[in-house]
Amino acid sequence: MSTRRLRTVLLVGMAAVLLAVWAFPVLWALLTSFKSERDVLAYPPGLIFEPTLRNYRDVMFGPSSLLPNLWSSTVVAGASTLLTLLFAVPAAYALARLQFPGRRASGFYVLATQMLPPVGLIIPYYLVLQKVGGLDTYAGLVVIYLTFSLPFAIWLMVSYFEDVPQEMEEAALLDRAGRMRALWYVILPQVRGGIAVTTIFVFLNAWNEFLFAVVLGGNRVRPVTVAMFNFISVEQTLWAKLAAGAMLAMAPVIVLGLLAQRHIVKGLTVGAVKGGGRR
Amino acid sequence: MTTTADNAPGAARHGRVGMRGIVKRHGSLTVLHGIDLDIEPGEFFALLGPSGSGKTTTLRILAGLEPLNEGRVMLDGQDVTQREPGERDVAMVFQSYALYPHMTVYDNIAFPLRMVATPKSDVDRAVRDAAALVHIDRLLDRRPGQLSGGQQQRCALARAIVRKPRLFLLDEPLSNLDAKLRLETRVELRKLQRTLGVTTVYVTHDQEEAMTIADRVAVFMEGRIAQVGRPLDIFARPASTVVAGFLGSPPMNLLPAVVRDGVVRVSGVDVSIGRPAGADGPVTLGVRPSALRIADAGIPARVYLVEDLGDSTIVDLDVAGQIVKLRTDQRVGVREGDSVHVAFAGDAAHLFDGATGLRRSG
Repeated sequence: MSTRRLRTVLLVGMAAVLLAVWAFPVLWALLTSFKSERDVLAYPPGLIFEPTLRNYRDVMFGPSSLLPNLWSSTVVAGASTLLTLLFAVPAAYALARLQFPGRRASGFYVLATQMLPPVGLIIPYYLVLQKVGGLDTYAGLVVIYLTFSLPFAIWLMVSYFEDVPQEMEEAALLDRAGRMRALWYVILPQVRGGIAVTTIFVFLNAWNEFLFAVVLGGNRVRPVTVAMFNFISVEQTLWAKLAAGAMLAMAPVIVLGLLAQRHIVKGLTVGAVKGGGRR
Repeated sequence: MTTTADNAPGAARHGRVGMRGIVKRHGSLTVLHGIDLDIEPGEFFALLGPSGSGKTTTLRILAGLEPLNEGRVMLDGQDVTQREPGERDVAMVFQSYALYPHMTVYDNIAFPLRMVATPKSDVDRAVRDAAALVHIDRLLDRRPGQLSGGQQQRCALARAIVRKPRLFLLDEPLSNLDAKLRLETRVELRKLQRTLGVTTVYVTHDQEEAMTIADRVAVFMEGRIAQVGRPLDIFARPASTVVAGFLGSPPMNLLPAVVRDGVVRVSGVDVSIGRPAGADGPVTLGVRPSALRIADAGIPARVYLVEDLGDSTIVDLDVAGQIVKLRTDQRVGVREGDSVHVAFAGDAAHLFDGATGLRRSG
């Protein structure tokens, strides 16, 4: 009895520590976003201050408004997520199910692309995009994002497809569905959870990406991550504005996460039905 | 090919199966060594064999789910070897049932009809008819996950019968049910098949199931068909020691013996089999456990173990170092360690060639 209680106490304690470590920077940024620049620099930092909405007003409607950049991020992240899923889902299905020459090799290649350090590719990508006129264009940046997100999404989706029982698919084939309709009506509904998870990861990666965006973007294509960077300059760092911008940039991602969470949980609980009793 | 079933009144008009020289390899391993099979329209045909004998692979080749290396698959005289599963007009019930978990029972059953653009009212009628036939018409709004194992099995069955295919393929459909339900469903399945008259190929490793349910049985052994025939014929006249040693519970006792001057000699004792034993040479003598009895004279044996099953008793006997099983529903007055003699009626003896294991005529 006492060991069980000790366990509970230990677990709760560990969870509290982890939560604090995880939540602290976010809460700190949240507090900072409501401070005036003078309060931000106060030492020791105070928990009691006069809250202000000025930072939010500035980053939304001021001369350095982030709204166009949020739109930029939405276009880039949205387009790369959409395209990634459009190609990754059928590709992952093929890798999981079909037997074709080079299946193993292509599976390894998909993983190998994830091992390259992105920074090593910036200069080649820059030169290529410059040649084809793709610098500072949405198409250019999205294509570059695809080179990373596509292999990652395929690799993630393959495991979800492999979890769908082969017999379920064969049943659909015998029920005269054919490959495409079997995929659409029977297989895809089983991997809904996987698609939701993949969507989140791909969208997050593109939304938070900074390195490629700052080098390959420009005045027309400037995602919010790059724009926020402008609050940090040689003379001064506008911490409060930066924090307000970060909160603003986080909002859509949090909403997306909450929306998808429902689907992820659902995808886990529906599962596959096998014979042999209740589930 | 015989055509008897074709001419029988009320028999199914289609659903004739022919498999010709089917060879299937997995890499260097040959799984099927040239399967030849003919199944008549309307027949309930069981593929029986131990696991790994190739019966399920044969069924999957019939369904078009498994590519084959050699041979042809014929359905109603047409070569369908290269046809996709969906183009063969066959329905299958999988061992796992393979229901679509995100659809209701209704949608599961309706699925094969909707895939060929059936009018809505026709779909509705067909689904309700099929569901009523297997007694799940009250469960149409449920999801497979909310059904018991038996109900899931019926749902899979309804999905197969709803489209009125020319062939049912059942892959161990009862193996996931508990013993009592399995017995009940077995009877129902047989009745259902009689009502619908659709040719049915049924894979099972349970010989009792195959014996009771099927019109004819093919016994699979190591990728070959060891014997095809009606259940009672196979039981009465197994074609080889392999089949004899597989069928029956417990299976037939097989004892090494010799034929000399037309007389069978086993363990140093001449036994009468009431018919000519054939040419001289080594043979295998087969006797079913139920045909053996303890007698005053006969083959000497020592009682090794007595297994009392309540309504019957199995006595394990040591005959010259080999265990022989005797089954009787009478009380036996023997104990472990007793020295006894066993005997059997001559017509209960089966003789197999000592070298090939094949049955000697008679």
